[in-house]
Amino acid sequence: MKNTISRIGQSIKLPGLSFLMAFTITGIIIAVSDEKVMNKIGSPIEFLKSAGASVGNAYLALFQGSIYDNRLAKSNFFEGFYPFFETLVTATPLILTGLSVALAFKSGLFNIGAQGQFIFGAIGASYVGFRFELPVGIHILAAALAGIVLAAIWGGLVGFLKAKTGAHEVILTIMLNYIAAFFILWLLKTKTFLRPGRIDPIAPEVADSAKLPLLAGENFRIHAGIFIALAAALFVWWLLTKTTIGYKFRAVGANSQAARTAGISVPFVITSTMMICGALAGLGGAVHVLGSEHALNTDVAGSFGFDAITVALLGRAQPLGTVFAALLFGALHTGGRMMQSNTGVPLDIVVVTQGLIVLFIAAPMFVRYIFRLKKLNASTSLTSKGWNG
Amino acid sequence: MKKSLKLIAVAASLTLITGVSVAPSAQAAKIKLCLALDTGGVDDRSFNQGAWDGARTSKVATAEYLAAASSADFAPNIKAFVDKGCELIIGVGFAISSEIVKSAKANPKISYAVVDDAGADCDANFNCKPVKNVKGLTFQTDEAAFLAGYLSAGMTKTGKVATYGGAPYPTVTIFMDGYVRGVDYYNKVKGKKVSVLGWDTKTKTGSFVGNFTDQNAALTLSKGFEQQGADIILPVGGNLGAPYAAANDKTKKALTIWVDSDGYGLLPAGKSTLLTTVVKEIGASIKSVAKDVAAKKFDGSLYVGTLKNKGVSLAPYHDLSSRVPGQLKLEVRKLRDQIIAGTLKVNG
Repeated sequence: MKNTISRIGQSIKLPGLSFLMAFTITGIIIAVSDEKVMNKIGSPIEFLKSAGASVGNAYLALFQGSIYDNRLAKSNFFEGFYPFFETLVTATPLILTGLSVALAFKSGLFNIGAQGQFIFGAIGASYVGFRFELPVGIHILAAALAGIVLAAIWGGLVGFLKAKTGAHEVILTIMLNYIAAFFILWLLKTKTFLRPGRIDPIAPEVADSAKLPLLAGENFRIHAGIFIALAAALFVWWLLTKTTIGYKFRAVGANSQAARTAGISVPFVITSTMMICGALAGLGGAVHVLGSEHALNTDVAGSFGFDAITVALLGRAQPLGTVFAALLFGALHTGGRMMQSNTGVPLDIVVVTQGLIVLFIAAPMFVRYIFRLKKLNASTSLTSKGWNG
Repeated sequence: MKKSLKLIAVAASLTLITGVSVAPSAQAAKIKLCLALDTGGVDDRSFNQGAWDGARTSKVATAEYLAAASSADFAPNIKAFVDKGCELIIGVGFAISSEIVKSAKANPKISYAVVDDAGADCDANFNCKPVKNVKGLTFQTDEAAFLAGYLSAGMTKTGKVATYGGAPYPTVTIFMDGYVRGVDYYNKVKGKKVSVLGWDTKTKTGSFVGNFTDQNAALTLSKGFEQQGADIILPVGGNLGAPYAAANDKTKKALTIWVDSDGYGLLPAGKSTLLTTVVKEIGASIKSVAKDVAAKKFDGSLYVGTLKNKGVSLAPYHDLSSRVPGQLKLEVRKLRDQIIAGTLKVNG
């Protein structure tokens, strides 16, 4: 028991400290970029006071915008949690794309393609969602499945090409992202997908029977997708730790030469990993469309696929870690809205914070040096293969 | 142990400092005007910025805005404004229109407006009905772009001009349509053969970046047109043209025409080659809606900006004024009067 606690302590120490450093530096940036603060540079005490107020207001808004805002609790206490539900809505697709990238890491692959896989998941779900009329439960399942299958093929293609031809998955996924992004641009101009009467690229809304059920009534956007995302995290954990195939994934990730010698088919592992990664990111796209967006547009993927890389890194490629990292990113994004409107701190600052967190995560030596930490166990470090891996 | 204690102390003192907060001052008489922006940011030197400038300088309103990182932000941004008690919520860009309409139906007491769209409530089969508390702000930008096309045709030395867009949205292609028709009109009147690269009004096909953010792709497109011999280029897509305008400032190979807000005051570099701007007065339209709301005269009728009501215009030539022949200036002014009088039709 004690061991477990100390292990958890070990594994959150570095992200936690990175987080602290990132917030400290962001605070300095917020203060320095505030004209009202800089005008007081003449008197040190006034300057510090005003800087404290500026940074304090910004972080207060960040909290109110992402967790709880008592000003929203007009008729009951519960309404104040609106921002937290928004955080969950934003985090849901991020958990799924994050898992997609994390799983790839475990097999020693770098999946930059979650963006493209997300797009195909969204396309599949949207098409089945608006084209067919099916009973409530079945419609959701069919739409999600369509998204998963399309994205699994898209992801599997990468694995297949890598396994058969040795092409590097980073190049493949980046290029396939471009293809997916322009494919959806074209697709939304075709008669099949363009909403009747519209010229700008947007698909019809999915039928009500295909929408994921809302969890807290009409006034909140929180939908059942969060449970799907958590179930997916559980699935990835189970797959990696409790199944033979998961063992093979990890073996190839740790050392593909040794795995091959031990009789594991590396091409099979690469292809199936990428298929599952595709399916996860695709499920993210499907859940995003069926849960909160309801209609496909060219911007549907936002930056979910790219943020996923950061989320997976921050979560140290562990399913649970990825969930928490996605929640953090969801909170930063949602809270950034309030920070922007209440204190005039631009949304870009939030992106800077995210960047700083990743920077410190990616440079553990630096953080360890600053806080004089001992070297962590080798097992907690992430591995990704080089060009010939 | 000592180290971690120190850390806790630092963290605690940080919390103390940051815990102090100041209440924002409120002004009672003014209405609360809230802008839900499109993606691209408030400083896009284009329509988001134009809208914000209009809102910011409104005398009857206190304004605030929320920028969207992607289309997933539209609905929550609008909801945040509803929760904050905004009296007038304006969606900037047609992409946000359906979310504005949804919110407007749920909150009939709040006034809404949407830029670049009629703001109607449409069902799956595109049966649309207007919504009482949503005002659409639309612009006949092809009228002003027509003038820019005519001007370009008169200014080109190579006989080639070019245009391209961010993405093939109607609000973008209307600029390109007007521009090409302006060039065509010049050819017809003068018996010349000036050609336009990048847009075909008949097939509705042309050159597009694919989004409104990839400035490098836009720079590549501009350079490509320059190499094909175009010496006047009109990029239609917010801030997309900025790098080329800046590069062009030194090479001076081609002239640039800006869109939406007068580029002369906005562009950090490129003034020496900025011919003019096809101006879409989003800011003015927003000010007028705010005034209506403040005077309790708001209604949901459609606003259409034209040359006539100064909702669209051709900006001054600024630094290049001396290079535009007096005769051409006169002709452009005459054309404008004809369009205003309705004797010259520019749209098709």
